[in-house]
Amino acid sequence: MMRAELWKTLRSPLLWVVFAIAALGPLEMSSYYLHVATLALIYVALCSAWNIVGGIGGQISLGHSLFVGAGSLLASALLLKLGINMWVGMLIAAVLSGALGAVIAWIDFRFRLGHLSFALITLAFAEMAEIVAIGWDFVGGASGLLLPRDTGDFFAFQFGGGRGSYWAALTVAAICVLANLAILNAPLGYWLRCIRDNEDAARAIGVGVLRTKMLAMVISAMLTSIVGTVYARYLAFVDPYQLVSPLITIEIVLFATVGGLGSAFGPALGAVVLLPLGEILRGKLGGVLPGLHAFVYGLIVIATIMLSPRGLLPLFSSWLGGKAAPESKAPA
Amino acid sequence: MDELLQALVEGILIGSTYGLIALGMGLVYGVSGIVNFAHGDFILLGMYMCLGLYSALTLDPYVSLIITLPAMTVVGALVYRFVIRPIASHHLLMVVQLTLGLTLVIQSGLLMVFGGQGQRTPSFVEAKLFVVGDIVMRGPHVIACTISFALAGVLFVILRSTDVGRSIRAVHQNARAAALMGIDVGRVQTIAFAIGIGILAIAAALLAPGASIQPSDGLRYTVITLLVIVLGGMTNFVGIMLGGLIIGCSEALGTVYLSETLGGLLPYAIFVSIMLFRPRGLTWGTS
Repeated sequence: MMRAELWKTLRSPLLWVVFAIAALGPLEMSSYYLHVATLALIYVALCSAWNIVGGIGGQISLGHSLFVGAGSLLASALLLKLGINMWVGMLIAAVLSGALGAVIAWIDFRFRLGHLSFALITLAFAEMAEIVAIGWDFVGGASGLLLPRDTGDFFAFQFGGGRGSYWAALTVAAICVLANLAILNAPLGYWLRCIRDNEDAARAIGVGVLRTKMLAMVISAMLTSIVGTVYARYLAFVDPYQLVSPLITIEIVLFATVGGLGSAFGPALGAVVLLPLGEILRGKLGGVLPGLHAFVYGLIVIATIMLSPRGLLPLFSSWLGGKAAPESKAPA
Repeated sequence: MDELLQALVEGILIGSTYGLIALGMGLVYGVSGIVNFAHGDFILLGMYMCLGLYSALTLDPYVSLIITLPAMTVVGALVYRFVIRPIASHHLLMVVQLTLGLTLVIQSGLLMVFGGQGQRTPSFVEAKLFVVGDIVMRGPHVIACTISFALAGVLFVILRSTDVGRSIRAVHQNARAAALMGIDVGRVQTIAFAIGIGILAIAAALLAPGASIQPSDGLRYTVITLLVIVLGGMTNFVGIMLGGLIIGCSEALGTVYLSETLGGLLPYAIFVSIMLFRPRGLTWGTS
């Protein structure tokens, strides 16, 4: 029954048309738009990975920069300082992120944190991680790390830049969206939504709260870390001020929320709409007057939220004539 | 020993202003359940208004309050009425993202008008020092601390014994029941938001003298405010002021006793450890 829903979504022609367009798109794109599209896909992956905890589970984590940072800085440092293959480095970072995620979920459960306390404690962890990363020479310190040139050697975690990197980003984006779809249609997704809507009731009907929260956080953290490694490889310059900063979490949460929390495609939609918008505004207005592009971007974000306070996805699906998904309850 | 006392005094002086800033957020949260991520940027807006008034009319930050306080209060009321209130009934995170949009607008607006380099607003008290025993206190800090506590007291009295205060408390306790008693909940929420932003105008004038500011500093103040308000148990007056003092002192102690890296960690580490032992904040007594 539950699996049948998943197969139905996977067999939807619309999904495959979108995927085919996304996969073949770079053949026709200029390098600038290819760059914007690659970034958008990386954020699709990051937002979808965050959605497992923040959207489906309703646990507003502001600490995901920890996992992006582990995936990018640690995997790069392992390669540059110890000569460890980046594929292995990616796995090491992912396992570490998973362990970290498990600890955070355990703290949340053990001390019965409220929503805001959880958000703030994860934010405090993230702020501490940034300070540590900037002061720690092994991961490059304040000056960051420079990865070797991308020669397209697949076994060295190199995708050749340009289209190769785009397809790598598309792969992780597809994996993260698929993970969302699979979780939404699996018992884990039902438990998570149950906990989100009423934790006490979930406990009363026998949902293993600790196990569910930990599992969701571990999956989300590992995916985020893997995307972080791909992101670092794409950027080639690994800057702690960019990748371990809580600002990256703020972007992720912004895109995911504006897109539509808790659904499989909402966060992806948010990233696909908002990231290119920001980049193109920066390209068009960045040289005119410093701050102008972010000013316009902020106004558009405000306008978007006021026009579609339930997220872009419900808005789009009501345009397409589909039934809008019921809004998830606001955490108290 | 002197070093310790000096650090603690500095922490208390700056922490009281943190407490005052967080009171503004607590007031808003109490009546409308909104967490305003643009809080710090409104402080920056106030500080830049002081700067602008100084460069245009050579007004001292304290004097420019005559203009900034009403201006910020009106801005607060308008922002709440026309931007936040229409979506206030939706998902908490959506409201937070809306305030993030405000953050972008304010921050880049300031960047467009004033530029990105650090700037400072001079004041007549800037160079004044108060010396008690071996402890040296900077003039603006002493003024900021005194006014912060006085203002917290005034707010407390307003909430306790005026009609506006009583209706704010009623909405805080139970918005639906308050509405049934004939209180215009939307109006009370707008007033609370306006007061919250008005407090920031005062806090900005207290922080401005001699401080170097950049348009991007807002997030730092927002994070500090969030730490303080969560420590204080969201709406508890005494708890929030105490939270402000704790964060202020841990910042000051961190800078004096630890390396640059570890010193920056201290407020967060203290925050996390307090939250683990008192997950609902430092609340005791009445709210």
